[in-house]
Formats: sequence, structure tokens, C-alpha cells
Amino acid sequence: MPRQTIVIDPVTRIEGHSKISIHLDEQGHVEEAYFHVGQFRGFEKFCEGRPFYEMPSLMARICGICPVSHLIASAKACDAILAVRIPENAARLRTILNLAQIVQSHALSFFYLSSADLLLGMDSDPGKRNIFGVMQANPEMARDGIRLRQFGQQIIEGLAGKRIHPSWVVPGGVNDPLTAERRDHILQGIPEAIAITARTLDWFKTGMERFREEIRTFANFPTLFMGLVGADGGLEFYDGKLRFLDAGGHIVADGLEGDAYDQYIAEIAHPWTYLKTSYYKPLGYPDGVYRVGPLARMNLIDHCGTPRAGQEWAEFRELDRGAVLSSFYFHYARLIEILYALEKMEQLLHSPDILDTNVRAHARANNAEGVGVSEAPRGTLIHHYKVDRDGLITWANLIIATGHNNAAMNRGVLQVARHFVHGNKLSEGMLNRVEAVIRTFDPCLSCSTHADGRMALKIELRGHAGELLDVMM
Amino acid sequence: MSRLLIIGYGNPLRGDDAVGYLAAERLRELLTGPDIEILAVHQLTPELADPISRAERVIFIDAAVTGEPGVILERPITPAPDSGGYTHHSTPSALLAASATLFGSSPEATLYSIPGESFEFGEGLTPRVAESLESLCTVCFSLPSSLQI
Repeated sequence: MPRQTIVIDPVTRIEGHSKISIHLDEQGHVEEAYFHVGQFRGFEKFCEGRPFYEMPSLMARICGICPVSHLIASAKACDAILAVRIPENAARLRTILNLAQIVQSHALSFFYLSSADLLLGMDSDPGKRNIFGVMQANPEMARDGIRLRQFGQQIIEGLAGKRIHPSWVVPGGVNDPLTAERRDHILQGIPEAIAITARTLDWFKTGMERFREEIRTFANFPTLFMGLVGADGGLEFYDGKLRFLDAGGHIVADGLEGDAYDQYIAEIAHPWTYLKTSYYKPLGYPDGVYRVGPLARMNLIDHCGTPRAGQEWAEFRELDRGAVLSSFYFHYARLIEILYALEKMEQLLHSPDILDTNVRAHARANNAEGVGVSEAPRGTLIHHYKVDRDGLITWANLIIATGHNNAAMNRGVLQVARHFVHGNKLSEGMLNRVEAVIRTFDPCLSCSTHADGRMALKIELRGHAGELLDVMM
Repeated sequence: MSRLLIIGYGNPLRGDDAVGYLAAERLRELLTGPDIEILAVHQLTPELADPISRAERVIFIDAAVTGEPGVILERPITPAPDSGGYTHHSTPSALLAASATLFGSSPEATLYSIPGESFEFGEGLTPRVAESLESLCTVCFSLPSSLQI
């Protein structure tokens, strides 16, 4: 048979637009597979010339799913430009906002995007394999997903004014302190949210056995892992320092400062996608390929930091003697992180100083550049800005979680395609598994695509009559 | 529990697509009261099934891609499960179906849509659509009295 290419376009139930191509040889065997991201956004370029203090609200517009994550990383980069240490309670409030973002985004990924595969099965009717199919098959699970996401969003709205593109987080801290009424309202909702997460975890763990083949083949290979770790080795989303771990569970590098990221992280561009690939510089590419996000964080930490999530984490780590390698377990890790986020928010809201009104430090631009690093739902997020003497942005670089995972996602697509896809007999379920491996990473593509030097783009300038005037590659 | 729920949706940065969103924002100023809830959202998401289930009457306001720009279209909405793979948005019918399945209530609902003239990037409505927004707000303003709220 002739060589063929199977194209899955678009990849469904992910954030953003992409396609997968699977290349078959003459025997119908999978030779190569690629995850292509065709959308492109130029935030790094068009923010040049803007005042740095506009950056958090500008950057929040990168994405409707994770505006809070960008707000946090951007504000931290601006804190560094101001050269201030923000008030303790401002950091506490930003942390709560970031944790609420973890809850709503993870709930979206697990319940809205992936639960249909897990509940109805990878081979189930594609017309029903969505959140509305879940509603029919298991209304309690669908209700739980809706409640949990709603809870995360309500916290964001309550703190920051609105769910999407809030502007409460500013360089130097936050705009307003927390009110007792708002604190009590959030606290009231936490027990129900914890109960939902606990029963979903039980359901997931009980059903994992059905997915033995997917666990074995869903981007299950050795890579490094990277993420922020707290000063005590605990799970950390707002602060902390970066740690790299190898597949055997050994620490490769630890205590790395975020502002020196370019000493250990490098990026490359590929001709088939706008999504850049990051790697650990000292090992080069491809040996330095790493993963970030929930699975990475569960592997990296020495302990979780909250009681119930801590117990779940200990059980999770029993899955493997070294690092847990199968990306199928991203789902599992995501649920543990929701539990942690809820418990941690409760702890922070009970802090005696949580209503402290000193929530913002004021200063002018004192540094010519600043780096902000935080953990977004999908992994480590880095914002790096340079400013001129007037505080106007002259250069910006964003390294997005989905970009860190790009190489692993591509390898994962190939692994799944080689295992499940055979050119002489195709089934929808096979191809759904190729998409489902991407869903485990929960990629968010709109903010992660940008060019690095050579762009995979050809621009033709044509006159009125259609004549070609110029070409830029 | 709100007796009247108004959901205006659209992208405020895509020209006339903003008409539903802007109508909801305007109606928030015009219509107030414990029995009225008004939501301005970018898109319809499954969690809206919850407030829908708690309302007696739901009004959806959206822009339309086809049709005579500025003409106000009105049609009743009935529950119908969404057969597409949900990623980012839903439909009024699917939300009514979700409300019935999950929360046991599917209120009477109407969709007002206004065909747009331009959906290019940027803020601001084209003149005919802006005029229709005002007319639609007048229609919605009288809803509470016609519904005896």
C-alpha cells in the first residue's frame, strides 16, 4: 500500500486549536506522528512600548481559561521591576487567587474535557462522548464538576471582581483587601468542594484498572520533571524555587532561582508547529526534555503540605519506585491538587492576618528587568520583561507550561499511535486515544504559541490584480 | 431564586458580536430587584445550567452571523441535548436540557438574536445594531411587568 497520512483535525476537548498527523509507511505501520499547533499570538511583540504596569492586565488577555495564572506571573515580574517585596498579606491573597484558578481549571479539564473518556470509555459513541453524555450517564458526576468549577470561579470573581480577565492583581500587590464577608463565604463552600473532590478521587482510583493499556502507553517514558518547590520541599504554586528531577526520582538540580531561568532552560522551534519546545539546557535536546504540571509536581515534592492531599499523595507515590512516568496519571495528580488547593485555601483564610489592609507596595521602576515565575494549572509559567528608563517595555519573553510539555506531547502521540493505530484497519476509538493522550496534559494553546527566530509561516504580499509583490518566509 | 434570568453573551472585542453582552450590561442598570438576575458572559458554559434551573423564565440575548443586520429576531427555546464535543461553548437548548437533567427544572426560555454587520476585532457596534440594542432593551425592560415580577 502507498504511504499515507492520517490527520485528526481538530483535536477535540482541549483548550485551543490543533491537529495531529500520523504518518504510515508502505506496510501501514506508524512511522512518525506530530502534534501541530497552527494558531499564533504575538503578545511578546505587541506589548513592546507599553508601560510595564499595564502588563498584568494585558497579559491576562492571553487566555480566557488561565488569565489568573498570567496575572500572577506578570505581576511578580513587575514586582521585580519595582524592586519591592510585596506585603505578606498581598502574597497570601494572590496565593488564594492562584489556588482558586487551580480548582476551576483542573475541574474543567477533568470533568468537562476528560471525564467522558473515563466514564463512557475510549471506544464509546463519539456523539455522546462529551460533558452532555456524562450528564446523561452519571448526573451526579456532572453536577459535581459544575459545582467545583463554579466554586473556583466564584472565588476568583469574589476576590478579583470578575471571572475572566480580572484586574485585582497589580504590580506591588493587590488592589483591595479581603472582607470578612467574602472570607466567610469562601470558607462556607470549602467542605462541599472537598467532599466532591474526595468522592471523585475514590471513583477514579477504583476505575483505574480498566485503563491498564492506556496507563502503559499514554506518554509513558522517561523524561525529566520540573516545577516550583516550596522552601520546605512542599507543594508550591505561588513562590518557591525550581527543581529538576530525573525519571528515577533523583534530584538533578534544586533551589534554582526563577530569574536565572535562561541558564538552565532553552527553547527550540520546529517547522511543523508554532508551539516552541523547552528543554533542560545542561543536558541539551532531546536528552533534556522534561514535563511540567500536576504529574511533575507530584513527582518533584517531598511532601504535599496539607493533611488529606498528603495522604492521597503518599498513595500516589506508591505507583512507582522512582518518578511516576505515565501521563495518564496527570488526571490523578490533578484531583490531588484540587484537594490540596481547597485545604490550603482554608488554611490561608484562617490566618489571623488575612483581613490585613496593607496589601500593596508602591514604587517606581527601579530595575531594568524582572522575571516572574509561578505554577499555573498546566505547569511552570515564566514571564520576563525588560523596560527602558521610562518604564516602557522594550522586550518580553513568556515561557508557557504547554511549551515545556511540547516534546513529551509529541512523543506521547507517537507512542499511542504506534500502539493503537494500524493502517490496514482503523477505528474511531484508536484515534480518540491519540487525542486522549494530549488531553492528559491539558494543553492550553492560545498563550503558548509564539515564534522563536524562524517562523513556520510564509507571508505573500499581493497587489490588486493578485500579482505577487513580495514573499517573506 | 430569580424569577427572571437574562443571559447576554458574546465577545465584547469582536464588533457586533458584543451586542448580547452589552445588552446584559445595560439591562443591569435598568432592571433591578431580588427576582431578577442578569448575566453578561463571553460564552455559554455548562455551569450556567445551575442558575437556569433556579429561574422561572430565561431570556438569552446573542448576536447572529446571518440575517438582516439590526433586525431583532425572537424565538422560543426548547431543551435539546448537545451532540457536539463540548470544548468551549454550548447552546441555549443544550443548557436547558442540562438544567432539566441535572437539576430537574427546565424553565420557559426565549432567544433574542440580532444579526450583526461586522465581527472584526475591536470595540463598538455598527449603527444599525446599536439602534437595535436600544430597542431590545426597551422590550426587555417591560418583561418584569408582563411576567408580573
